[in-house]
Amino acid sequence: MEPLKLTPAVVSQTDVNRLIRELTGLNDFFVGARTRAAGSAMQLPKLSRLMDQLSRENGVNLLEDEARRKLMAQLELVYKSAPSFHISFAVEPSPKSLERIVLWMRQNIHPQTLLSVGLQPAIAAGCVLRTTNKVFDMSLRNHLKTQTKYLAQLIKGVPEQPVAEGAPGGR
Amino acid sequence: MNTGGLILIIGSLLAAASAFIWLVFRLEGAGGKGKKNRQDEIINAAEEDVAHIFNDDFREELRNRGRLHFEKIIGENATFLQQDLRQTTTQLNEYMRSEITKTLQQEFKKYEQSIGDAKQVALQSIQKTVDTIEHQRELLEQQLQVQSKVQQERIIARFEAEMASIVNHYVIKAIGNQIDVSDQLDFIIGELENNRAAIVEDIKNGTS
Repeated sequence: MEPLKLTPAVVSQTDVNRLIRELTGLNDFFVGARTRAAGSAMQLPKLSRLMDQLSRENGVNLLEDEARRKLMAQLELVYKSAPSFHISFAVEPSPKSLERIVLWMRQNIHPQTLLSVGLQPAIAAGCVLRTTNKVFDMSLRNHLKTQTKYLAQLIKGVPEQPVAEGAPGGR
Repeated sequence: MNTGGLILIIGSLLAAASAFIWLVFRLEGAGGKGKKNRQDEIINAAEEDVAHIFNDDFREELRNRGRLHFEKIIGENATFLQQDLRQTTTQLNEYMRSEITKTLQQEFKKYEQSIGDAKQVALQSIQKTVDTIEHQRELLEQQLQVQSKVQQERIIARFEAEMASIVNHYVIKAIGNQIDVSDQLDFIIGELENNRAAIVEDIKNGTS
């Protein structure tokens, strides 16, 4: 089975769960449509932007049962096994910023990476990424901590070279 | 009239009386019974003559002379005694003065010596106290300097240890929510890029 291609708008497990619920609702609609009396009025379900983008991105015809079933299986697989990280920012990120980060992670880490977003005002800037086993502190707070010696030298007036940028922040 | 004159007069009087008595005994030895009468007559005559010579006036005169002489002697002796007494008093005064002065000088000297000794002891004690205080002060100063240095180093160490938090806190207070995540994207992506290998490794090895 070909892995599902997640759109950047699908960020977290909650989004996946929402898509699963929507797809379930769609299935229910079609099942109901089959059993309805001929000529009776029926209300077409409204697709969300996420579902629309996802189905279009993956070339899924939602009118086909098989396609919906396949999509459902893929979504459930993503929900269960896709790597999920928790990322914290100092302020609430805009959807665009978040999409860019998700895009980078899906291109560089795992194509089905999911993120849950949190807030940590104390980090000032940057982010803190928490995986199942590790915490990658990429915040300004941690950056300042690694530069404590340099800061002290700045205060004393004899600055040396700062610690090289990009030192791993994981712990 | 001095004592010599008085003795001469009394001596002449006694000599005259002795000669008269000798004459009476001579005459008595020459006659017998008549002699006896004559002797009595002579004795009576001698007594009368004696009474005639040593009459009241003469006695009074003698008494007056004796009194005057005695007074004179007494006066002279009193003068001498007075002079001696004055001299003695003067000498005694001088002696007393010199003794008192000497004693006082000795006492003053002793007193001065005692004061000097006491002063010396007090000075030594004060000097010792000053030395002790100075020593204590130096000790205290050293301790204070050590404590101050330790405290200073502790404060600096703590400041340096907490510096990151201080700056971070300052940044948060200063800019707070003004830094949008979109402004930090380059930094975040850069950091993610730096940690990419570790994240990938963690996904591979970890249990999700």
